[in-house]
Amino acid sequence: MKRSFKDDFNMLAMLLIPIGVAVNLVGFQVANVLKLPIFLDTIGTILIGVVAGPWVALLAGLITNLINAIFNPIYLPYALTSIAIGLGAGYLSKFGMFKQIGKVIISGIIITFIAVIVSAPITVLVFGGATGNTSAIITATFLAAGQELWTAVFSSSFITEVADKVVSVLIVYFIVKSMSDRYLSKMNYGELYMKRKQR
Amino acid sequence: MKNIIEIKNMSYRYPVSDDFCLKNITFSIQKGAFTAIVGNNGAGKTTLCNAIRGFVPHFYKGELAGEVIVDGKQIVDYQLGQLGEKIGYVFQNPFSQISGVKDSVFNEVAYGLENLGVPVDEIIQKVEDVLKLVNIEHLRGKNPFELSGGQRQRVALAAIIVMDPDILVIDEPTSQLDPIGTEDIFDVIRLMKERGKTVLLVEHKMDLIAEYADNILVLHEGALVMQGPVREVFSDPKYATFNIQYPHVTEVALNLIDIGVPLKFIPIRNEELPKALKMEWEENND
Amino acid sequence: MKLNPILNLHPLTKLYFSLFVTISVIIIPSYIFAFTWFPILLVIAIIAGVGKQYLDIVVKALVLLLGIVFIMQLFFYPGDQVIGEWWIFEATKEGLQYGLVLTSRVLAMGSAFILFFRITEIRDFVKALEDLGMPPMGAYIVLSTLQIIPEMRRQAHTIMEAQKTRGVETEGSLLIRAKAFIPILTPLILSSIASTEERAITLESRAFSAPTKKTSLHKLKRSNSDRTIPIVLLILMISLIIWRFFL
Repeated sequence: MKRSFKDDFNMLAMLLIPIGVAVNLVGFQVANVLKLPIFLDTIGTILIGVVAGPWVALLAGLITNLINAIFNPIYLPYALTSIAIGLGAGYLSKFGMFKQIGKVIISGIIITFIAVIVSAPITVLVFGGATGNTSAIITATFLAAGQELWTAVFSSSFITEVADKVVSVLIVYFIVKSMSDRYLSKMNYGELYMKRKQR
Repeated sequence: MKNIIEIKNMSYRYPVSDDFCLKNITFSIQKGAFTAIVGNNGAGKTTLCNAIRGFVPHFYKGELAGEVIVDGKQIVDYQLGQLGEKIGYVFQNPFSQISGVKDSVFNEVAYGLENLGVPVDEIIQKVEDVLKLVNIEHLRGKNPFELSGGQRQRVALAAIIVMDPDILVIDEPTSQLDPIGTEDIFDVIRLMKERGKTVLLVEHKMDLIAEYADNILVLHEGALVMQGPVREVFSDPKYATFNIQYPHVTEVALNLIDIGVPLKFIPIRNEELPKALKMEWEENND
Repeated sequence: MKLNPILNLHPLTKLYFSLFVTISVIIIPSYIFAFTWFPILLVIAIIAGVGKQYLDIVVKALVLLLGIVFIMQLFFYPGDQVIGEWWIFEATKEGLQYGLVLTSRVLAMGSAFILFFRITEIRDFVKALEDLGMPPMGAYIVLSTLQIIPEMRRQAHTIMEAQKTRGVETEGSLLIRAKAFIPILTPLILSSIASTEERAITLESRAFSAPTKKTSLHKLKRSNSDRTIPIVLLILMISLIIWRFFL
């Protein structure tokens, strides 16, 4: 075929984006139904970062927030956070940070930092320090205890994010582990996770 | 007649497999012929279809040896987009075989023509014709996601033949259909043949193959073990060794021969059995 | 055929209007100005025949947010002019002022955004973007995402029901509930990923990557209003900027 292999990757990789977005939304919904205390709304983005790379995950994150924003515009500015999470997961995967469980947990913490660093300024600059979620109460507590606004927002969003992101990356790790080589062989970064090496 | 498809010494292995799932296959198909591909599960029928359409090794990667020539040109020299116009491909699973972006059957069937840049008036005319042809006019306003398996199979077929390709590669188009739906589909395929299309069909329903197809390719464990006109292949004793279904009437006829009832020839269509018996009987009573 | 004058506008006209609202509240710092937008937007929604659902979504999405944003500013925005006290917190005049500015802006921008999607079919919006030059793959991704989401929700529901009957517990302690998450989500993800390959083949079979320019049965109409409204908005915007910064 004259079309390059790169293009092939793109067609299959692009088709993963709608799935990643849907997994984000459905993950959040299932977590809600099960009354879990965390959101689990970035599993799709992280998964796509791991198997298809940072750029595809970037788009998945962006589209997730755009679609959520249709019913809740608060999501719109936080599209930047989703984008950063996608890029982060993709690059971590590229550098082999999703191969063993220990590294995966470190990846989860790194992704938490990425999410916090990007979302805190949005919270402060766009919403003045708090939106309608649980971290608002923690932020208020820190503020009442006399902390600076920025420190309060950073610390409260770290506290609410870290469990969510570490659990999310672990779930992604187990899902990737349960993928057969047949699937993985078709993904951009799938070879990294195949049980046998491609010849 | 010239050969529209030529395959020479083709072998193929999927990327994560040790074994070749197509082994050294050679055959050619004449323009306008209706060829059935038969074989047991895992014989490589679907992979062969994918190879003719160029998806092997394009999407599936892996290792391809030998040559695949379509309309006088190596398949590797085609652009993928051009092949879409030349070869129509309908595959097994009707559930994943919708575009996923259209909200009505009408628009779904029109999708291929839109992609080919056909003018809008022409698209509407062609889609109307095909909906009638495949007998799905009543579904035109329905969301493709809400259709049953059989309905989706018809829509998938309609969405391909509307693009009017020279070659049709059709992989088990009737798996979700009842006998009447199946007959309908075969009528459509016959019509395509009458319009000069070259048809390749994977199918397990041998009665229908005996009735409609010109030639058969028999695949067994990745190798092309028999090929030729339908009648010759079904009457060849070698066919029995692969444990593939016969047409029902052929099965009956072979049983008759087994128990000593002589037949003048081996029937492959229902109406031929009495004829074979009668000819034998008349010969003996002359 | 819809005859509603607002619904019938071109998606881009509606988009320009929403952007106009958003930018205007950034240019004009007055919270009275910003708060005025919401009743106007509501009237537009009512004329478009979507008043009730519009109000529903605005209330659900924004009321709690605005409340929290306001309270945070009232008590924690740096200032000295104390106007009230509550437990250990002090409400300041500066806080009140900034709280009103911030909430009025968030309300105007948020409700303009919500209105846009209430009066615009996403399919039309995507088509408008495609006409502007968005690649077909981009349009495909957005539209296919919108179709996959309800499909996957339904599947998730089916799997959850099936798991329950098979004895996977979805109620009880946190650990039990957390454990139920993976068997619900994993099959869903794996089967969806498996289907992408056939979807790619379907798209290729429908000449998705044909080297020709695509046509479309879906055509957007531009009326006279679609030509005049953007110009009016532009003139208003320029006047606002001149009034705010040069007069």
